[in-house]
Amino acid sequence: MIKLERASLRYGAVLGLSPTSFELPDGGGIVGLLGPNGAGKSTLLQLLSGLLPPSGGSVEIFGQTPFRNPEVLARIGLVPEGDRLPVGLKGRGWLRMMGRLSGLDGAPLETAMAQALETVGMSERADLPFQRMSKGMRQRMRLAQALLHAPELLILDEPFNGLDPEARLTLMGLLRRLADGGTRVIVSSHILSEVAQLTDRILLLFRGRLLAEGGISEIRQLLDRHPVELRLSGEARALARWAVEQPELVALELEESAAVLSIRNPRDFLPRLQSEAARGGLPITGLDPLDLNLEAVFQYLTKDHA
Amino acid sequence: MSRATPFQTVRALAAGYGPRVFQVRGWVIAAIVLAPVALVLGVSGLASLQGHPLPPGAALTVFHTILAKVVLPILALIAAPAGIREDLEQRTLPLLLTRPAPAWAMPLGKGLPWFAWGAAWIIAATLGLQILGGDPGQRMGALVGAWWGELAFVALLGLTFKRGTLWAALWLFGWENLVAVFPPFLQRLTFTHYIESLAGSRGHSVSATELLAQAQVSTEPWLALIILILAGLAFWAACGWKLHATPVGLAGAESEG
Repeated sequence: MIKLERASLRYGAVLGLSPTSFELPDGGGIVGLLGPNGAGKSTLLQLLSGLLPPSGGSVEIFGQTPFRNPEVLARIGLVPEGDRLPVGLKGRGWLRMMGRLSGLDGAPLETAMAQALETVGMSERADLPFQRMSKGMRQRMRLAQALLHAPELLILDEPFNGLDPEARLTLMGLLRRLADGGTRVIVSSHILSEVAQLTDRILLLFRGRLLAEGGISEIRQLLDRHPVELRLSGEARALARWAVEQPELVALELEESAAVLSIRNPRDFLPRLQSEAARGGLPITGLDPLDLNLEAVFQYLTKDHA
Repeated sequence: MSRATPFQTVRALAAGYGPRVFQVRGWVIAAIVLAPVALVLGVSGLASLQGHPLPPGAALTVFHTILAKVVLPILALIAAPAGIREDLEQRTLPLLLTRPAPAWAMPLGKGLPWFAWGAAWIIAATLGLQILGGDPGQRMGALVGAWWGELAFVALLGLTFKRGTLWAALWLFGWENLVAVFPPFLQRLTFTHYIESLAGSRGHSVSATELLAQAQVSTEPWLALIILILAGLAFWAACGWKLHATPVGLAGAESEG
C-alpha cells in the first residue's frame, strides 16, 4: 500500500525529511506517526497524501506516485492539521462541493454525504456556517470530507489538537471502527499517550528522520530505558532514604525541600511511589516530572541510537 | 474509484463557492460599479431640471474615464483575491488539492462566480449609462470582455507572486496609462486599447492635455472581443498550469516550490 524508498524533502535549504524508507502493507489498522513538534511528521504526511513530491527518492501509494495523481487521490482521505476551513460557507454545501470534486454526484453523492455526516455525528448540524461551529464540530466536518469517498487510506495530521477529552474519545472510537472496517489509518501526534491508546504500530520521527518503527510494546521498551527526572517535594532526606532502596533509581540530588530523582521504568516506579504515599509512608507534598515529555525521550533515543 | 472531470471540477467549485458573492465583498463590488453611474445620472437629472443638460458625449466620457479606467481595475483587484488565492492564504488549498480532481481546472472554477457576479453589475451599470445616450451593446461587450481578461490577469499574478495584487495594481493603473507615451504597438498590450476598440475611442472628446503622445493604433471590434476572451482563457490556463505544477503544502504559500 505505502512504499517509501529513501524519500526525502527539502524546503529550500532546510531539510524537512531525511531519506526515509519504510513499507506498510495493504489492509486496515492504525499506524501512529509519533514525534515532537518539528520532527517531520507533517512533511511525511504531505508526501503520502500527494501534496508535495519528494525532493529525492520515491513515494509510492497503491503502486503509484501520489503527487497530482487523481487515481491515487481517489483512494486517499486527508484531514490536515489546524482549524482550516473556507470562511463564509456552510458545512453541507462545502461537503457537497468536496464530494463533487471526488467525482460523486446525484443520489450517490447525497448518500455518501449522509453516511459521512452520520459517521462523524454532524447530520443535524451540517447546515451551520463554519464560523458558527465549535472547533470540535469543524474537526468533524474535516473528517467527514475525508471519509466522503470511502478512502482506503485515511491520513490525519494531529487530529486531537484542540479537542476536549470527550471529543478525543469519540474520535478515537471512530478511527478504531474505520480501521476495523479495513481502512488503513495514519495518525500523527506529538503526544505519546494519545498514540498509545489508539494504535498497534508506531513510526517514531525525530528531527526529520525515522528513528524507530515497531509495535507499541517495542517502543515502550525503548522509552522505559530512558531515565526520567522527577522532583519529589517534601522532607528531602526522608524521601531520599526511601528512594535509594528503589531498583529504578539512577541518580539522586538533594535540594532544600525536595529530592530530584533520575529513574528508569517509570511505569513500575510511579505506582509504587503512589501506594507508598497513600499509605502515609512518605513525607511527600508534591511531584513534578522534570523531563517526562516526548522531546526528552527523543533526545535520549537519538543519543542511544548514535 | 470515481474522479472528477475538468467540467465537474469547474462546476463543483463554482457552485460551492457561489454563495460567497452574496457576502460583503460581493456587495462592495456591486456598489463600486453602480455608485459612479448613479451619481452621474443624479447630476444629469439635476442639470436637466435646471435647463442645462449634460453634453451628448458625457456617457462616453464616464464610460472611458470612470468605468473602464478606474472601476474595472478596482473590481478585478477586489474580486481576484477571493479566488484561488484566498485558499492559498487561508491554507485551505490542500483540502482541494487532495481531491481526485484536476488541479488545473480549479482557478477557473473559483473565479467564475466572481466573473458572473461582476458581469451582472457591469451590465446593469452600462444599461444605466444608456439613459445618457450611446450604444449600450458595444459598451457591455467591451466592459464584460475586459472584466473577463482583467479578473483572470489579476488572479494569475496573485497565484504567481506573493505581492501579485500590488503588481496587478501597478499594471492596471500604471502601465495602462503610461503606455500612451510608448511606441504605438505597445498599446496592444493594454486592456484599454481593446476596450476603446470595442466601445469606440473617445478621441473626439478629449482635451489637448489628454492627447496620447503617440498615434492610436486600431483593432477591429470583433477581433478586440476575441482577443479579450482568448487573453482571459490564456490567463486562466496559466493559473491552472501554475497550480498544477507548484507543490503547495499544508503551510500554504510558505512551502510553495
